[in-house]
Amino acid sequence: MNIFQLVWRNSFRKKTRFSLTCLSVMIAFFLFSILAGINHALTSNVSSNNQYRLLTSHKISLARSLPINYQQKIIAIAGVESVSYASWFGGFFKDETNQLAVDHNSYFEMFDEYNIPVSQLEQWKKTRTGLVIGQAIANKYGWKIGDKVPLISSIWMNREGIFTWQFTVSAIYQSADGASNEKQIFFQHAYFDKSRAYARYMVSWLTPKVDEQADVDEVSQRIDKLFANSNGATRTTTEQVFIKERVQQFVDMAMVIKLVVIAVFFTLLLIVCNTMIQSNRERLNESAMMKALGFSSRFLIAQVYLESFFLLALGALLGCISAQLCLVYVRHLFTDFLPGIAIDNVHYLNVTLLVFLAATLCSLLPALTLKRLTISNTLGAKA
Amino acid sequence: MQTENQNKIAIQLKQINKSYQKGNNNVVVHENFNLSIAEGEFVALMGPSGLGKSTLLHLIGGLDLPTSGSVIIGEQRIDTLSEGKLSTWRAENIGFVFQSHHLLPVLTAQGNVELPLLLTPLNNKQRKQHASLALRLVGMEERANHLPKELSGGQEQRVAIARAIVSDPKIILCDEPTGNLDRKTADEILSLLTTLNKNHGKTIVMVTHDLRASEYASRVIDLEQYIDASKQSQLSALEE
Repeated sequence: MNIFQLVWRNSFRKKTRFSLTCLSVMIAFFLFSILAGINHALTSNVSSNNQYRLLTSHKISLARSLPINYQQKIIAIAGVESVSYASWFGGFFKDETNQLAVDHNSYFEMFDEYNIPVSQLEQWKKTRTGLVIGQAIANKYGWKIGDKVPLISSIWMNREGIFTWQFTVSAIYQSADGASNEKQIFFQHAYFDKSRAYARYMVSWLTPKVDEQADVDEVSQRIDKLFANSNGATRTTTEQVFIKERVQQFVDMAMVIKLVVIAVFFTLLLIVCNTMIQSNRERLNESAMMKALGFSSRFLIAQVYLESFFLLALGALLGCISAQLCLVYVRHLFTDFLPGIAIDNVHYLNVTLLVFLAATLCSLLPALTLKRLTISNTLGAKA
Repeated sequence: MQTENQNKIAIQLKQINKSYQKGNNNVVVHENFNLSIAEGEFVALMGPSGLGKSTLLHLIGGLDLPTSGSVIIGEQRIDTLSEGKLSTWRAENIGFVFQSHHLLPVLTAQGNVELPLLLTPLNNKQRKQHASLALRLVGMEERANHLPKELSGGQEQRVAIARAIVSDPKIILCDEPTGNLDRKTADEILSLLTTLNKNHGKTIVMVTHDLRASEYASRVIDLEQYIDASKQSQLSALEE
C-alpha cells in the first residue's frame, strides 16, 4: 500500500464517472493533436535549405504568369545564388496529381529533397519529353523507366490543338526527407514551352535561392522592387510562407488551433474540476478520518493532485494515440495538398505542460477544501 | 505494573475553555474544565447530549483546539503544536475509533489497517506483518482481504479498532464505538477494548451513552455531575 495505489483505487471508485470524464479529456486532446499535426505541415514540411529558397510569383495572383526572362534579371541581384522556375500543368492520368513543368537545368539542383539516381537524372535532362515521377506514382500505375504515358491537361492545349500530351518516363524519385510526397510529376519546361499553343516564354513562378550570407528579407524586397513598375509586378516570399498562405486561403489554421486550444483547455478545466470537486466532496468524511489518523493536509492534497493528473494524463495519452492513428489516414488523404502532416515532439511537450497545468488548476478548489477541513466538524462532533 | 502505570498521568486538561461561534451567538461548551486520566485507565465519559463529551475527546486527541487552557498528553502540551506537528503527534500517540467506522471503501480490511502505517518508516513487508497482527488481535484475520461492504457492522468496527491500535499508540479514543451495533456485537467490542486495556496497557477514553459500557470501564465519569461537582469545588475554593 502506498499513495499511488491509493490514488489508483480512488480513481476507479466511480468507474462510469471516471470513464466519461476520461473520454471527454481524450476527445479534447484528440482534436488538439489533429490540429497540431496539420499546423506542423504548414510550418515545417520543407527541406532544411528551404529558408534560403524564395518563391516569386505575380503580385496579383498565382494564376498570372511571369516572363521567363525574369530568371536572368533576378540572378543578377546581389545575394541571389541561383534561380529556377516552374509552371503548373494541371494534368490528369487517372487522378489529378501535382504536375509541374520545370527548368531541367536547375530545378533538381535546387530542390534536393527529391532523391533521383544520377544516371536517371542525366537521362531525363537529355530526353525532351521525359518525366520524373514519384515512387508512389510508379507503384500506383506500374510505370517504369522507358514507358510512354499520356497526360491530359485541364489548362494547356498543345500546338496540335489537343490537350493530351505524350511523355516518356525517364526517372523515378524518392522522397529524401519523408516530408515531401512521392506523388508528383515533373517534365522539362523547355518542351512544355515550345509545344504549348499559347503563353509561351512565361512561367507560373520563379524560385530564387538566396546566398546563405545574404539577408532573405532584403533580397526579397530587392526582387519585388526590380519589377515594381512593370506589368509583371512580383511578390516574393519564402517557400514556407508561401505554403502557409496557400492553406490559409481556405482557413486561418493558426487561429483555429489557438481557439481550439483555448476551448479545449477551458472545457477540460470545467469537466475535470467538476469531477474532482464532486469526488472530494463525497469523501470528506474519509479525508477527515485520514487527518485524524495523522495524515497531513499536504498528503491529502497530493492525493487529489495525483488523481487529477492521472485522469488528465490518461485522457491525453489516449487522445494523442488516437490522433496519431487518425493522422496516418489523414496524411494519406492530403498528401498532395498538404504534405508533412505529423505530430512533433514540441506538441507532446505542450500536451505534458497542459496536463500539469490543468491538474494543478483542477486541484486548487479541492485543496482549499482539504486545507480548511476541520476534523471535529466533519466527523460530526458538536458540543 | 498496573498500579505503577496508574500513578502516572496520561491525560491532563487544565482550565479548559471551549466555545463555538454559531452565527452571532457564542456557544460556551466548557468553562474552566479540568480532568486528569492516569495511564492504563479505561474511562467512560457519559452524560446527556450537548454537554461536550465528543468535544473533550477531540481536544484530547488534538482534533480540535481549546479556546484557552492547556491539553497535556504524557509530558507533551499539544494545544500549542502547529498543525503539521500535531498530525505527526497524533499518528504516533493516538488511536481513534468512531461511531461510524469511516473505513475507506476502496481498501480491504488489511489495506485499511495498513493505512496509518504509511506514516511510519516501516517497509511494505513490515506494514503487512503489523496489519496482520492487529487484525489477528481483533479476530478479523480471516477477513483481511474483504472490502468493508462485505463485512457486518461489528466486523467493520473491529477493523476500525485494528486500525486504531496498529501503530501501537498509548491512548485509544473511542467516540460511541457501539452506537450503531446490536447488544451482542456491542458487548464483543467492549470486551475487545477491555482486553486492549488490561492485557496491552492501553489508556482508553470512551464517550458513550451505553449504560452497559460502564460495566467494562475502570472509571465512569458522568459529565453532568462531574461539571457540577467541579463548579462546586471551585466556588468553595473561592469562598475560602
